Amino acid sequence: MDKVLVFVETKGDEPRKASLELLCEAEKLAASGRFSVEAVCFGTMSDALREKLLASARKLIRFNDPELAVYSPEGYARALAGYAAETGARMIVAGATGTGRDFLPRVAIMLGTGMVSDVTGANWFDEPMTFVRPMFGGKVFAEVAFPASPVVVTARPNSFAMDIPEGIKGEYEERTAGSLAGAIHTRVVRVEETKGDAVDLTEADLIVAGGRGLKATENFKLVEELAAAIGGTVGATRSVVDAKWRDQADQIGKSGKTVSPKLYIGAGISGAIHHIMGMDTSKVVLAVNRDPNAIIFNYANYGIVGDLFEVLPAMTEEIRKRKERG
Amino acid sequence: MDFAFTEEQQFFKKIITDTVDRMVVPKAREIDEKDEFPWELWKEFTKLGYLGLRYPEEIGGMNADPVTAMIFYEQIARGSVGFAQSVIMNILMGTYFVYRFGSQAIKERCLYPAMRGDKVATMCFTEDQSGSDLSATRTTAVKDGNEWIINGTKMWITNGPHADFATVLATTDPSLGAKGLNFFLVEKGTPGFSPGQILDKLGCRGTITGELVFDNVRIPEENLLGMELNKGVEYLAEILDEVRVMTAAMAMGIAQAAYDEGLEYARKRIAFGKPIGTYQLIRAKFADMATEMEASRLLIYSAAWKMKEGLPSRLEAAMAKMFATETCLKVVDEVTRIWGANAFANEYNPQRHFRDARFLLYGGGTHEILKDFMGRMIIGK
Amino acid sequence: MNILVLVKQVPDPEALIEIAASGKDLNVEPKFAVNLFDEFALEEALRIREKHGGTVKAISLGGPKAIEALRTAIAMGADEAVLIEDEAFAAGDGYNTALALSRVLKKETFDIVLTGRQAIDADRGEVPQMVAQFLGLPHVGVVVKLDISDGKAVAESSLEGAKEIVEVALPAVFTAQKGLNEPRVPLITGVMKAMKVQIPRIAVEDLGLTKDMAAPENSKTRIVRYLPPKKRPAVQIIPGEAREAAAEAVRILIDVERVI
Repeated sequence: MDKVLVFVETKGDEPRKASLELLCEAEKLAASGRFSVEAVCFGTMSDALREKLLASARKLIRFNDPELAVYSPEGYARALAGYAAETGARMIVAGATGTGRDFLPRVAIMLGTGMVSDVTGANWFDEPMTFVRPMFGGKVFAEVAFPASPVVVTARPNSFAMDIPEGIKGEYEERTAGSLAGAIHTRVVRVEETKGDAVDLTEADLIVAGGRGLKATENFKLVEELAAAIGGTVGATRSVVDAKWRDQADQIGKSGKTVSPKLYIGAGISGAIHHIMGMDTSKVVLAVNRDPNAIIFNYANYGIVGDLFEVLPAMTEEIRKRKERG
Repeated sequence: MDFAFTEEQQFFKKIITDTVDRMVVPKAREIDEKDEFPWELWKEFTKLGYLGLRYPEEIGGMNADPVTAMIFYEQIARGSVGFAQSVIMNILMGTYFVYRFGSQAIKERCLYPAMRGDKVATMCFTEDQSGSDLSATRTTAVKDGNEWIINGTKMWITNGPHADFATVLATTDPSLGAKGLNFFLVEKGTPGFSPGQILDKLGCRGTITGELVFDNVRIPEENLLGMELNKGVEYLAEILDEVRVMTAAMAMGIAQAAYDEGLEYARKRIAFGKPIGTYQLIRAKFADMATEMEASRLLIYSAAWKMKEGLPSRLEAAMAKMFATETCLKVVDEVTRIWGANAFANEYNPQRHFRDARFLLYGGGTHEILKDFMGRMIIGK
Repeated sequence: MNILVLVKQVPDPEALIEIAASGKDLNVEPKFAVNLFDEFALEEALRIREKHGGTVKAISLGGPKAIEALRTAIAMGADEAVLIEDEAFAAGDGYNTALALSRVLKKETFDIVLTGRQAIDADRGEVPQMVAQFLGLPHVGVVVKLDISDGKAVAESSLEGAKEIVEVALPAVFTAQKGLNEPRVPLITGVMKAMKVQIPRIAVEDLGLTKDMAAPENSKTRIVRYLPPKKRPAVQIIPGEAREAAAEAVRILIDVERVI
């Protein structure tokens, strides 16, 4: 059986979503009988976290070296690559998070292999394995074959379904990588949480934009609340900016900002070409408009024909509920 | 035969394109709307050193060949024609005669600061009743001891109202017609030299164009820009081709800016369920525009290459000016059709390009005059 | 301070990219640019040099056309540039790219290596860390602030939303993120220097490598084919009265599209 190592990132008592998704995907590989899967963790681990992980991984290894208490690319890479080499792992996977993308390349070189970064799809059972990954900011995708061994992969969050397996009760093992002290040349002086400032429109992943249909400047609080609930940024159409309901900086469109978020929610926006030219490269578009013939529906994946004054608060409430449930 | 830019020219094109995209393009709409000289952009841009484009390296210039210069003129006009006119005035017409004939003192006072952007230059040809017909110039220069006294009124002067120095075309002997013309340097602050009316223009806004009044302006003898008296028209011929091809290059700058807008719109605007760029009639417009722009550029850059090689280029320069400008007019027109009614909205750029393109019909010679001149060159007198 | 900047020439962000009929190649409109993130790296290198003295050398791996990216580096103010000219390695995977670059770096003496956090064409974000590993050097990724003093660097890394302030002894590799600085517009004096400069070219054979190492069949990973992104399907109208539709929309966005 080929061994698969899943690097699991954690924050407090929670595994990172990207790691959990990979554990779910890896469980499918384990279930095939062709792969054995181990989750690998560094740093401190609470009982609660351990229990959570053991419910989705058949085996969990934690390296308890004090040097791994905080992230360092050299330390993490050495510990993970060392274990992979020792166990003859066939595959090392991690979420394509900032951390995963930062140190997995070092792991690959330590193991004398290449890597595929930021994959959105995988054919684990192909020989050689193939992966799909975006290039040119998602304008095109490449299918990449990986004949070398071991296979090192980072997977983009949200690429694999979070189908938490049932009835798993994994075994837990603590190990020491050892000999890390001299290998780490970076030192984290301090960590500053970045303030929850809304991201600038042009760089936002999530945008909620409002148009004339909001009827008055004070009604933009509905847009703001939905944006806050999803952690997104507020945008506006030109007519709204002209009416001084919103600042010029919020304007999306030909004479405003060009945006390309993962999610664009447009409320009370008819879809004037001016606006469309600024947002039509958005990945997923949800339009809310009373008029079923509104042009914006031509550029949307999803549409709600309805009153935004009811739909937006209902969505905000629903999202908050979902977040509470976790 | 070799039609390619050299590697150096290609690189220059890349750099100036990026520079214009970063510094000029974002300001173009504001420049047009305000119709004020963009001092802030002027300072920021001229700091880069491009105003010395055509002058030798020894005096801080770049010594660019005409082909490279055309690349520059085209790109700066693509960014903002209003701004480009002011910049090119300092690079070419406004400083050429000072560079060619000015004393060291004059160069230090006028040319070098103009190359750095610290002084604004202008060139005064046109009068109310004379433009292409230079022999009708009424501004006079009369010798009085070791001074010249200039009298007259110039019109359509780019950078005129705020120019620090002007190269002024004046006649020393009206009976000689064009053969009595000479260039004189008049500096700001000289008594009797004052700006008059400022023109409210259809396009090329942001470059301030207006009247300059010369009322008994006394200038020293050395301000006659020329080795010999009454050779003004011959000296003018030294830059005439470059001015014409430069105008053609500016036309391609406007055409490219408009074309790019048209392309974006054709790809994004949906009609009957498909982007309008998928319809044959819209595709045909792009085929025609691209072809004529390519033809214009071949004329422009082959004329520039002839100038670089020192080959005769008078006819080719006139051809390039006429053809490129007419192409530009067609392109800005087609783009307003592609954009539909949106082209009529002042909020978008196509209407600006549509207005700006008109000016190039007159700058560098009207096409009526040019055709007559070209026909005369071809058929003979 | 001797600073090396790894620079990649990439298609212009606006360039049209289409998949060839075979599916095995890309037709990319021939408009090129210096990789955006490498411009931040270059600018930072120039600022460090202005403050601490030293030299800035730009290094690129690419085809003959990549000379233009290096000329841009010179125009901005780099002292020197060198091109590893090899189409196969330039088109190769991250491993081969990093291998070739690290071989050049081994011949240099330097305190700092700066490069962009990823190239906007391949979007891999692997090569800088791989180069660091090949050379046995530490790296700090996704840097938005960099201070150099006493043979040490203090870098602000914005890996995961939070900012980590990391101290590292030099030499080290840093990858530049947007926000690090505002790259300068080249002065004409720089442009003229860049137009005239003779940029040395190195062949991979000079680095102890062979061309066939970068051939797809010999690479660790290889691109098999290209796929288009999913086209936006026709709009799906979510039925029901407002509350119902809103709840369904949220479900779709979270569970199906997974964008929230």
